[in-house]
Amino acid sequence: MGKAMNHREGSVMILGGGIAGIQAALDLTELGFYVYLVEKSPAVGGVMAQLDKTFPTNDCSL
Amino acid sequence: MLTNADFLALEGTAGNFTATINLRPRYIDADACTACGLCTQYCPKHHVDPYNEGLAITRPIHIDYAQAVPATYYIDPSSCLFLQHETCQICVPVCQSHAINFKQQPEERKLHVGAVILSPGFGKIAPETLAKFSYGKHPDVVTSFEFERMTTASGPFQGEIKCFSDGRHPKRIAFIQCVGSRDIGCNNGYCSSVCCMYAIKEALVTKEHDPEVDITIYYMDIRTQGKDFDAARERAEAIGIKFVRAKVADVTPWENRLQLTYATLDGQHKFEPFDLVVLSVGLESPKDAQKIADITKINLNKYDFCATNGFNPLQTSQGGIVVAGAFQGPKDIPESVTQSSAAASLAAASLKAVRGKGVDMKTYPEEQVVAADDEVRIGVFVCHCGINISSVVDCAAVANYAGDMKNVTFYTENLYSCSQDAQEVIKKKIKEHKLNRVVIAACSPRTHEPLFQETLRDAGLNRNLFEMVNIRDQCSWVHAGEPELATIKSKDLVRMAVSKARLIQPLPEQTVPVTPKALVIGAGVAGMTAALNLAEQGFDSVLIEKGDGIGGNLQNLHYTLAGDAVQSHLKTLVDKVKQSKKVDVLCNAELVQTAGFIGNFASVIASGKGKARVEQTVDHGVIIVATGGREHRPDKYLLGKSKKVVTQQELEKQLAGKAKTRAPGSIVMIQCAGSRGDDLNYCSKVCCNHALKNILKVKEINPDSQIVVLYRDMRTYGFAEDAYLEARKMGVVFIPYEVDRKPEVTEKGAKVQVRFFDSIMQEEVVMSPDLVALSVGIVPDDTDTLSKLLKLPVTANNFFLEAHVKLRPVELAVSGVYVCGLAHGPKPVDETIVQAQAAAAKAAIPLVKGYVKVDPIVSSVEQDKCIGCGLCVSLCPYGAIVMQKVDGKRKAETISASCKACGICAAHCPTFAISMGGFTNEQINSQIEAFGATGDR
Amino acid sequence: MSDQQFNPSILGFLCNWCCYAAADAAGVSRFQYPPSMRTLRVMCTGRIDPAFVLRAFVEGADGIFSGG
Repeated sequence: MGKAMNHREGSVMILGGGIAGIQAALDLTELGFYVYLVEKSPAVGGVMAQLDKTFPTNDCSL
Repeated sequence: MLTNADFLALEGTAGNFTATINLRPRYIDADACTACGLCTQYCPKHHVDPYNEGLAITRPIHIDYAQAVPATYYIDPSSCLFLQHETCQICVPVCQSHAINFKQQPEERKLHVGAVILSPGFGKIAPETLAKFSYGKHPDVVTSFEFERMTTASGPFQGEIKCFSDGRHPKRIAFIQCVGSRDIGCNNGYCSSVCCMYAIKEALVTKEHDPEVDITIYYMDIRTQGKDFDAARERAEAIGIKFVRAKVADVTPWENRLQLTYATLDGQHKFEPFDLVVLSVGLESPKDAQKIADITKINLNKYDFCATNGFNPLQTSQGGIVVAGAFQGPKDIPESVTQSSAAASLAAASLKAVRGKGVDMKTYPEEQVVAADDEVRIGVFVCHCGINISSVVDCAAVANYAGDMKNVTFYTENLYSCSQDAQEVIKKKIKEHKLNRVVIAACSPRTHEPLFQETLRDAGLNRNLFEMVNIRDQCSWVHAGEPELATIKSKDLVRMAVSKARLIQPLPEQTVPVTPKALVIGAGVAGMTAALNLAEQGFDSVLIEKGDGIGGNLQNLHYTLAGDAVQSHLKTLVDKVKQSKKVDVLCNAELVQTAGFIGNFASVIASGKGKARVEQTVDHGVIIVATGGREHRPDKYLLGKSKKVVTQQELEKQLAGKAKTRAPGSIVMIQCAGSRGDDLNYCSKVCCNHALKNILKVKEINPDSQIVVLYRDMRTYGFAEDAYLEARKMGVVFIPYEVDRKPEVTEKGAKVQVRFFDSIMQEEVVMSPDLVALSVGIVPDDTDTLSKLLKLPVTANNFFLEAHVKLRPVELAVSGVYVCGLAHGPKPVDETIVQAQAAAAKAAIPLVKGYVKVDPIVSSVEQDKCIGCGLCVSLCPYGAIVMQKVDGKRKAETISASCKACGICAAHCPTFAISMGGFTNEQINSQIEAFGATGDR
Repeated sequence: MSDQQFNPSILGFLCNWCCYAAADAAGVSRFQYPPSMRTLRVMCTGRIDPAFVLRAFVEGADGIFSGG
């Protein structure tokens, strides 16, 4: 990266780096594609990173 | 990963998009920042912390939370003194790695991509909607998001729940449901689908903190329709959390407390005082939904969520752009995760031709040979983790202690061992000191072992020549008040690790090739969708169906709640499957036997009828289980005994027919017939929507028809709530019943009578409708046989149990086996389709790779020592050990790809013939010995 | 009891997938507990050969914790 134009064949842009965006990015990478994960805030994670535990098993969400 | 980025424009078409992105400056060089946190300590300006929902104060220069990715601080320009007023700049000299750079400028970047996935999440309900509950006027009224941060142990109050007004611990807490949802007042007619669950969760967590606290949840319907969600509600009730069906009119301050005014079903107004009121706020469409729609030209629905169609739930109105997560409609985590895998499979299918072209393959230097009798040279690295470890543990003392141990050639401390520069240091030291074992004392191997193993590989060492010591999560963090003892513990743990490290041997990396074919079991909508998606991604599958023809339960459905015709869609789908050269359909077929493991299964399949029945063996790499479910027919309410009592499915068939009298003049519908604590212990998720679908159809055909619905909770979650509202507007009467006062159906001559307690009028009512329609549940189709055949665990309700409820919702415990549709749990057609696409995505991963990696820590059998007793075979929970004849003698052998490294076999082998990679008897014994050698303790 | 507080020396065999993960989670939540246990991570408590337990007692353990 670094240059203004990124030209890669076989790439996908994902808009939003919450749990949905992250999971899609992980799967697409494993399926053989290059992913640009575009997130408007300074860190990925979305709302799930704010949660303490999750329903119904009360597993830690981080 | 492009963070702090705005999406500005999108041009082009599917397969050939150009997106314009604006990268806002962080004012911190991400590569140089070590996330030490010094800058935040020195920054003089306050900044309200949005990560903590504004409940805490941070500084303009900060990181949201310790585990944030990327682990780089940033400066929020809205409150930074320099960026606002050109003063201060204290942080610049404070930063020891010179990472702060106020000269950074926004950077525009163009991305050339083949497909776009929209997953912008959801927005928040406007504060105006919350005002009637005194939110913003009284400090003790909080939103559920704020409350979540309050209960969190790592949150601003360390999980201590206090009233903001005077700091007292609340004795009575009220949750108000449906704030900003199911509320046409704020134009959110839909149900947010998650609030009931999180309210119950937060209530349970609060009870854990303080069992004495009194909690009441005010609700309209408790919508815990997800898999096994009802059980949590029952658990909540069992520990004394109260559920009150009532509409809360307002919340007003009353002395130092809050008074709730609410109306119960029977029309009474009541008042109740509380210390703390939590508003269960709904999920709004994302704030920038309209902007995204303008840029991408996708259509939104009337609530500004992304508009999609029930048979193609993730496809937006623009080709090449798919949606996932809450933007498609409010939903919980497992469904978001499922949707995102499904979206990945759709994008992957559309870009099949260019798969693999954009990915850079990482190369490693050749591995250095470490022979068993080489001199052991151990390097020990002790991590400070900023101050996370070093503020408690004396890291220098631990490092020096390690330095005195035998075979330790090199030792040092790192500020952050996981940082990019520390990795370079470790690599350099490995080479410089010819280290052939590395011990890192830092955080947990569960999170960081892969990272350090990667570093070892980069340095040309086998990745198993590594041992990690956990002196953070299991030492400094939990013994914060006892620094001396924590330091001794760290030394002990390091001594044990070094002792083990002396005996570690390199383990070979193993890979197993994959047969690029799938076996899909069940040819309903789930199985067909999964097979077709795999075909679009370029993979063959064998689709087996036990019935005469393909189509499954969809054959019994005629229209959807949204009004789409089911049969024409089904026909398209069936035709596509039949025409596909990549899907091989076998009817009247069943799985007889399966052997093998991920990548290399061999299954015997019997198919055909009578004399034409043949058995064949199919080699395949993955299995998708889509065996479906069927209507549960309870022996209750005269079902099957009276012609006037039918199930919703039978009513649907009747309504789809041509008979003039197909829409009777009066109907009583009974929800949860046989479900939720009756024959079935669970909610079947679809029955409420099924009832509404039929109600609207009846009303369409015969507007005069009178319909009464007896229900427990109407679970018309998501946008289906609109249909519920519409039915009520049409005059359909909905009356809740209690589980201990179920309706009764009796026959009286040619008539049927329904007797029930009307909770609104508070009296017993008897009706004689033309028809009684029962909303019955869904049961899985024979999961027993398959679960035994493939060793797949099932839930208490006989549905297949996924590997992880939240994060691996379509994978099963056995590697290479995936699940979708009703076999996983009751769900409507759109969710089934998404799940099938997700299963196809997961199943395609090993098929795309062409090989599966085997973790080298698996078991191995020393054949000379094996006496062929077979004890290990009988004990292995994963079927990963088989007996084979070697020179006429029975010998055990591990199937590496199936082995999960549990070590049960090694612990039980009477002749110590089985060894676990990385956990040998010698290694564990040396750790135990080192544990005993307390040294300076 | 003497005025010297008993400070047992405990060896804990923790399963990587559950108890070791739980011990990490306890750390993340900053739960405080006495620093008297030394951890030995295994991939499953099924790995624990009874001989390991006896060996640990021989080596001076006051107690064994097995978490899985």
